[in-house]
Amino acid sequence: MQEKVLTVSIAGEDVAQPIRGRLVRNKWVYRILTFLVVSGPGLIVMEADNDAGAVSTYVQAGAQYGTRLLWVLLLLLPVTYFIQEMVVRLGIATGKGHASMIYERFGRWWGLFSLVDLQLVNFLTLVTEFAAISLALSHMRIAPQIGVPIAAVALTLMALTGSYRRWERIAMFLCLLDLAWVFLALKLRPSFGEIAHNTFVPGIPAGGLSSNLVFLIIAIVGTTIAPWQLFFQQSCIADKRLRFADVRWAQLDTLLGAVFTITVAACMMIAGNAAKVHGLTFSDPAQMANDLHLFSGEAVRSLILLMMINAAVLGTTAISLSSAWAYGEVKGWPHSLDMPIRKAPGFYLTYVVCVALAAAIVLIPGAPLQLIILGVQVLAGIMLPSAIIFLQLLLNDRQMLGEKFVNKRWNNWVNWTIIAVLFLLSLVLAVQVVAPRLFPGV
Amino acid sequence: MSLMNLLRLKEIHEIPENHFVVIHPLDDVIEEKVNAASLGRMPMTTSVRLSLMALRGYLAIMMLLVLYHVIDLARGIGHTH
Repeated sequence: MQEKVLTVSIAGEDVAQPIRGRLVRNKWVYRILTFLVVSGPGLIVMEADNDAGAVSTYVQAGAQYGTRLLWVLLLLLPVTYFIQEMVVRLGIATGKGHASMIYERFGRWWGLFSLVDLQLVNFLTLVTEFAAISLALSHMRIAPQIGVPIAAVALTLMALTGSYRRWERIAMFLCLLDLAWVFLALKLRPSFGEIAHNTFVPGIPAGGLSSNLVFLIIAIVGTTIAPWQLFFQQSCIADKRLRFADVRWAQLDTLLGAVFTITVAACMMIAGNAAKVHGLTFSDPAQMANDLHLFSGEAVRSLILLMMINAAVLGTTAISLSSAWAYGEVKGWPHSLDMPIRKAPGFYLTYVVCVALAAAIVLIPGAPLQLIILGVQVLAGIMLPSAIIFLQLLLNDRQMLGEKFVNKRWNNWVNWTIIAVLFLLSLVLAVQVVAPRLFPGV
Repeated sequence: MSLMNLLRLKEIHEIPENHFVVIHPLDDVIEEKVNAASLGRMPMTTSVRLSLMALRGYLAIMMLLVLYHVIDLARGIGHTH
């Protein structure tokens, strides 16, 4: 059998060069393995979005309206995919993060505006993540003064290993742990007929289109599609150095991530529905876990609390990284998880400061946590249209992307429709705030 | 052969014929990407200018409304206590 020697060109001469890889004979095995080595950013960005705020919003939706809002999640599946898919193309084509793209193509003012917005929403969200960790720990009879700093240290160590692959493996493991929500949903014995009906047949719950329902739907949209996701995935793709040929695998990774995330979100809503069925009222998911244990046992209680912590940890690492990557890109600092601390001190410092400060704020007593969580989700939903408009304009930048990566006509139709819907939802919120009497049930 | 074994990457010196090689992106040769910095700012076409103007107005109004709403909610919760 003829063998091909791997060569690289150095100073015009071909030099034999070994590479790290895996030899396979079967084309399908090759495709599967290529997908596995490329996958990660898509699944992580999607599942990290099922963070503490999301757990709270979804179980609250389930507790108030049962499974009647499952169709909203199904609608959000293509929406979240199409938005993140644009990020995949932009990240692979440019090898740069979203923040630096906005700086380079829209100038300093918009760059700074996006960066400040991102850092603000991210930081508030991080506070909610640690608030959820603190809440779950206190329900597990672990003092937050001990548990929260431990979580912050663990989160710091997770990113500071100097290996992108190590961080990605841990993050993927945390994502897969969320499969426990599926187990939880099944254990709570939901009505499968009702779930199927409410998933595929859109309907307004009893009580009509009330202010509360509209606010909750906007919160669900805000929690399912968050601005930090655009920045995170593009930077993550750039950090992982995905190649032009990886586009379709990265798109598949994103699609599977979207399906996984929406499934987990639906399971959270089903858990909330169980509380409704038992006539329980609660102010946060930890309290729901406590109340549910009377009907479903200690295992369910512990699992919900642990999953709350897992959601918050995953959300924290992804959001802090999106902040650190964005800041590093704009400042021109080295910013890679594959670099040791001494080579990218500013990048790692930003990550550590985000984590440490958010953890410290949570330990100050007296904050209305549930209100902050819902407020952040709505704020993110309001700010998302701006981030998507930049994305949409960048994806129509033929001069930069060329024909291969630029949006096709159908991409633009889909994306402008999504943007219009997001604007509309935000406007409904505005009208509801200014003239609440237009809505019944206020 | 387990999946973990399949994913274990090794040093390869030669690629036999009829074989494929799976390379992790971080182990591969760095690709030359689009150099966006050299292009400068995006041309301010009418659609781009209109999009950015609309965005400015939208953001200013929405931030004020949300702030008002959150404060109102907080006040409402304060009264119930």
